[in-house]
Parts: sequence; structure tokens; C-alpha cells
Amino acid sequence: MWIWQAITGALLLVLLGVHMVAQHFVAPTGLRFYTDVVAYLANPWIFALETVFLGVVITHALMGVRAIILDLAISEKADLLLKRVLVVVGVVLFIYGVYVTGMIAF
Amino acid sequence: MDNQTTWQKIWAWIDYRGRREGGIGFILMRLTAIGLVVYLLLHLTMLTNLARGPEAWDGFIHLVEHPFFILADAVLIFGLLYHAINGIRVGILGLGWGSRLQAPLFWGAFALTVILTVAAVAAIVSIG
Amino acid sequence: MRTLKLRILRGSPTLGRQYQTFTVTLPDEANIIDGVEQIFGHQDHSLMFRHACHHASCGLCGARVNGRERLMCITPVSEFPDGATVTLEPLRNFPWVGDLAVDVKPLLQKMDMVGLPYSREDELADSPEPGNRFEDCIECGLCMSACPVVGSSTKYLGPAPLAGLARLIQEPREVDFSKACALGKSPHGVWRCHSAMECTEVCPSDVDPSQAIGWLRRFYTFKKK
Repeated sequence: MWIWQAITGALLLVLLGVHMVAQHFVAPTGLRFYTDVVAYLANPWIFALETVFLGVVITHALMGVRAIILDLAISEKADLLLKRVLVVVGVVLFIYGVYVTGMIAF
Repeated sequence: MDNQTTWQKIWAWIDYRGRREGGIGFILMRLTAIGLVVYLLLHLTMLTNLARGPEAWDGFIHLVEHPFFILADAVLIFGLLYHAINGIRVGILGLGWGSRLQAPLFWGAFALTVILTVAAVAAIVSIG
Repeated sequence: MRTLKLRILRGSPTLGRQYQTFTVTLPDEANIIDGVEQIFGHQDHSLMFRHACHHASCGLCGARVNGRERLMCITPVSEFPDGATVTLEPLRNFPWVGDLAVDVKPLLQKMDMVGLPYSREDELADSPEPGNRFEDCIECGLCMSACPVVGSSTKYLGPAPLAGLARLIQEPREVDFSKACALGKSPHGVWRCHSAMECTEVCPSDVDPSQAIGWLRRFYTFKKK
């Protein structure tokens, strides 16, 4: 899991950089107005980028949450439950994020 | 130890007394991690707001132009940059490389974080 | 000569805790352990502390000196200005026995788990199994005290045992390390380390546990020694 934390972290360095630069410096008005946001998200490349970014950041965040909780020396049974809960939370957050973004864009 | 409460365990992470660069680095890493998870959830909530249409979005933009949110943005940017830049340091150290340089690497990461945060906040303030 | 005020944490789990300050006058070339022994010999014979070799070889006199893990026998008094107050507290993350004494059995048990029983071959001439000691490590426990993850998890093997495991895999000396290897790979092994680096910083013997843990991670991931 640590290796995947490092890999997703490295990916986030790139994805977050692109996310920030695209939204604040490339997009017109820095996405201050609603119409600009819709136009930005409707671009299929941007939509794909944001989807990948969302997936990677949720993965990194929830693996980090698990790492912190494991430092509390929880039992194996609790760890199994934790993994399942975090997978469900991650999937729900991802689907929700993609759904809402899709609603705005299209 | 075995009869510790959860709060005592958490205190073991954030007890800064006697800590040097690496220990302080760890505390900041953990705090920024938790802060960023909270922010991620807030950000997804904000997205929900955006889905409610232009009036909701404009209301939200009006809210975050308040100086309190500029300050909150500065804290967020600092936390994000620190977590990312120190994360690179932790990744390198975690694979067993550069342990003798860990203290100067911490200071380098911290300095870079501060510089980039100041630049980002300056950009926000000048655009606003 | 210099005069120092040693502010020592006194008490025990049953008696409670409070700080007591003693004034000691020591030669400039003395170490903190000399001050503690002066207190024991001339001021308070009830003071509890561990000591033996006085030259950083036995690892017994570990304590927190002004919050930082040190061996008291190699902490020179010349580090502190004349008249300074120096706070002495027991090591963290070990069961507290009393005053500056802690029970380091958890460390020794974990060293045993990774295949490094602490008894040396020359001390157990009639033992059926020779001891396999991790050369540089003096099992002082400073790294275990400084590690924030050891502080929250009794299951985490910790810096010294993991460094010992790395050494064992690098040079097995006919010891079967497969069980210990599995321990190191478990959720309470190398993956619990978050590179706080305090273990490497406080180690008096140049063991560099964090580098060893990193080596182990590379070993487990890429399967190369």
C-alpha cells in the first residue's frame, strides 16, 4: 500500500498542477462565472482529466486515512472492516463527483 | 503502550517536545493530511453548490471573496504545498535514500513551501 | 567546574509524578550521568535509574534530556551553561517503572521476534542456539522512544528491530529469517514507518534505522538484496 501511496502522490503532483494551472490561468476569467465553468467542464479532455484527478486524489486520501488508523494498532478484523468501508466510501465519492461534474457540464 | 487511550496514542504523534526537523515534519505532514481530507469533502460539497445553477455559484463566489476565506485559502495552499513538497522528501527517505540529508531537505521543502505560498497568495490578492 | 540544576521526573505509575530539582556541581569534562550518580550517592538514595558501562556500550542510561532522547553517559555537562536547569525524564513508549527507569522488555521481545535474541554467544556458552546479535545496535531504546508510531502502536516492530531484520536478511549467517521476513512485511512492519527520521537522529551508535527500513521496503518491493 505504501508504494501505491507514493505512486498516487507522484501522479497528484502532475494532476494537481495541471488542475490548478488550467483552472486559474488557462480558463477564461479563472472560472469566476458560472458559464465559464460549464464551458470548461464540457470540454471532454478537461472532463477526463478531472475524472482521473478525482479518482487518484480519493485513492490517495483514503489510503492515507487507513494508514493513520493502522498506526492506532487496530485488530486484523477491524482492519478488514476498515478496508471495506473505505472502498465503499471511495466509490461513492467518485461516482458522486463524476455525476455532479457531468450534470454541470452536460 | 497497551493501556493507552486513543487520545494518548494521538498525542504521541503530535507531541512536539524534543522533536527535531524530521519529527516536526511528520507532525505537519499528518496535520496537513487530515486537513486536506476535510478539504476534499468540502470541495465536493462546493461542487454540489455549483450544480444548483448560476445564482448558487455567484453566491458562493461572493462568500469566498471575504477576507476570512482569503486567509483560509492561504492556509489551504500552505498545507497543500507542504504536503506535496515534503511528500517528495518522505518518498525519497522512505526508500532508504538521503537519510543523512533529511534535516536540510526538510528546511529546503519548508522554504519552498513558504515561497510558493506567498507567491500564490499574492496572485490571489492581486487578481481579486 | 559547573553547577547545574537537574530537574528530574520522580514517581511511579502508582505514586504519581512530580518534578524534583537537585543542584549538582561537576567538572566540565563530566557527563549528565555523573550528576545523576552524585544525586543518588549524596542527596537522594531513592532515585531510580539504569546505568552500567558509562561509555555508550551497554545502552542502559537512555533518558530524555531536555525532551530529547540521549544516553546520559555521553551527554557532556559542558553542553549546558553554568547554572542551567536540565530536565531529565524517562524514555517514552516503554512501561514506566519509576523515576528515570523504564522496562525495555518490549524492545527485547521484538528483537527476539525478528531473530536477534539479545544474549550473546559468549554469555551463553552452554546454550543450544548461538545468539545472533545485531552488531551496531546497543538496544538502548532511544529510537523506540523517539518514534511517534511506536508511541501509538505496541504492535509496530519499531526502528531497532526492523534495522536488525534488515541486517539479518543482508547477512543471514545460517539463520532462517523467513518468519521474521513475513513479520517485517506485515501491516505492523516496515509499512508503518512514516519517515519521521527521529530514530536515526537519536541513535548513539550510527545504526540509521530509517535507512535500513527503506532498504527493507526496496527488498520487499523489488525482491533484490
